[in-house]
Amino acid sequence: MRTIVFPFALLAVIAVSIGTALEPWFQAWAGNRQSGSLLQTALGDGRKLFAKHFYTKADVYFHNGYYPTIYDNAADFKEAHMAGDVHQPGEEEALENFLGKPKDWLDAFGRHFYPSRHTHLGDSGCGHSCCQRARENGDHAHFEEHDQHVHEEGDHPTVGGGAERELLPWLRLSAELDPERVETYVVASFWLRSKLGRVDDAEQFLREGLRANPGDPEILFELGRIYYESRQEPVRARNVWEIALKRWGEREAGKPEPNTLVYGGILNNLANVEREQNDYPKAIHYYKLLKQVSPNQEKIQDWIQYLETNGPPLRVGIRQLY
Amino acid sequence: MNPVTNPLLSTALPEAGPVGPVRQAQGGPSHQAHDRSRSRSWNTISAVASVVLKELYRRKDFYVLFVLTALLTLLMGSVSLFSQDAAVRATREICLALIWISSLVIVVTATARQIPTEREQRTLFPLLAKPVSRSEFVLGKFAGCWSSAGLCLLVFYVFFAVIAGAQEHEWPLANYFQLLTLHWFMLGIVCALTLLGSLIFAAPSSNNTITLVVTTGILLMARHLNKVAMKMAEPWQSVVSALYFVLPHLEFYDARDLVIHNFGLVRWGFWALALVYAVVWMALFLTSACWLFRRRAIH
Repeated sequence: MRTIVFPFALLAVIAVSIGTALEPWFQAWAGNRQSGSLLQTALGDGRKLFAKHFYTKADVYFHNGYYPTIYDNAADFKEAHMAGDVHQPGEEEALENFLGKPKDWLDAFGRHFYPSRHTHLGDSGCGHSCCQRARENGDHAHFEEHDQHVHEEGDHPTVGGGAERELLPWLRLSAELDPERVETYVVASFWLRSKLGRVDDAEQFLREGLRANPGDPEILFELGRIYYESRQEPVRARNVWEIALKRWGEREAGKPEPNTLVYGGILNNLANVEREQNDYPKAIHYYKLLKQVSPNQEKIQDWIQYLETNGPPLRVGIRQLY
Repeated sequence: MNPVTNPLLSTALPEAGPVGPVRQAQGGPSHQAHDRSRSRSWNTISAVASVVLKELYRRKDFYVLFVLTALLTLLMGSVSLFSQDAAVRATREICLALIWISSLVIVVTATARQIPTEREQRTLFPLLAKPVSRSEFVLGKFAGCWSSAGLCLLVFYVFFAVIAGAQEHEWPLANYFQLLTLHWFMLGIVCALTLLGSLIFAAPSSNNTITLVVTTGILLMARHLNKVAMKMAEPWQSVVSALYFVLPHLEFYDARDLVIHNFGLVRWGFWALALVYAVVWMALFLTSACWLFRRRAIH
């Protein structure tokens, strides 16, 4: 019995000693995966490879499954346009019909078994699947299932009607896999704020993005929009946008091809806020900066002249000049 | 020596068992004898099929895969994102993907082991010594595997419908019915292909691997082969184009996206046509399997 216990105790002591010696080194090691995130622990930096896939998956959902594969001619198909404005139904749909006419009878027959028409999430006007099926059947008003469906209050917000929530799991997963991908936070926040009315969630998600990407101007710009458009707090929004402008200058100004889209957006919103706050000199200053990068230089010049010549403030609606 | 088990004799006497009564009736066209023979054939096929069906619920494969599918789906369904209800479509997509993977694995592995196991355990010899022809044996195995697949799918899709219904409070049963039947007939083609493979490949493991690779390849690639062919130079363009028309287009039966993204029903005419297309391919593979099995030495 003693002969068994002695080597066992010796091995245990050696194991504990080595463990104690290695622990500080492991904690300081750059390759240490202990971050509290299961995905990071399991996949390491390899997880970033999947982040793009899940971001694209969200775009696939935005198109209700109608999405080009690597074999399709997708030149006209605006990839990931869930990030931008949605065009009017039918306006550019024909251009984005990457499938084209059926190439043979097998192709024609096969199209009955997968989404082969360009639609968008929430096109039916309501997130309920019965509405979408009704729309698909082309008889929205008389589709029996839809007629029996009673919409609750709040089912039909301004656009979309809550179907956009279907994008969120993939965007959340993409952010988990690659926290440094800024676009994911901005797009998710846009849908949460504008289509789902979940302003708190949008702000919280953007703050998560800021923790992973401190001082990122794009996230700060979106955060400012939440304060300005959703919370009606222009002063707070102005402060955030001013920081965004400063950070943009630090990061992008020196680049050969800076991201002027974000820059223009920040300046446009800052000019609008200052104009509303009757601080005309500042508004003119921002408009002059905006004029340098905006394609609508004439309109901006009109605004500058108007602010320089007109005395009493005129509260006008905010226009996107960039 | 049993003439059925002897490949040399069996080519000359392919339908040893059940042709007895038919042969007796060859002196004159007797409908009664013909009907009796058909009825007996059907009984034989049913008997073989019922053994396969019993094997399904004795083995643990289905239960393990079903529990795994249920667990992962429930886990996904219970995840709440951004302080709101879980997204429905993502749950549906994951559940259906798991159902497709599970059903493919169950069907291919179950079918691939049928004939080799009978041969290894030497139960094939007494079976064929009875009035069971080789064709009936193959058809019985196919019927058993395909009905097992149907049974599995029924359980899987009931679970899917319950989960989807619980989340969305809707029951588009016609859509689910179409999805289930298309899936089942697709598995019928895979089942027949695997059965044919089990007569060509030496071991069930190689048959499993090859059939799964081919099936997955067809599901992922077959739809795009014509586009790929257009970008190729001759003679590969003609080869790939020919492949495109010759392959069984299993992707027709993958209507998951229509259900996930709440599209309407597939037109019933096209749905029926797809089922006919599947039956033709099943018949093709099964005829080849029967022909091959009749000509093959079984030991």
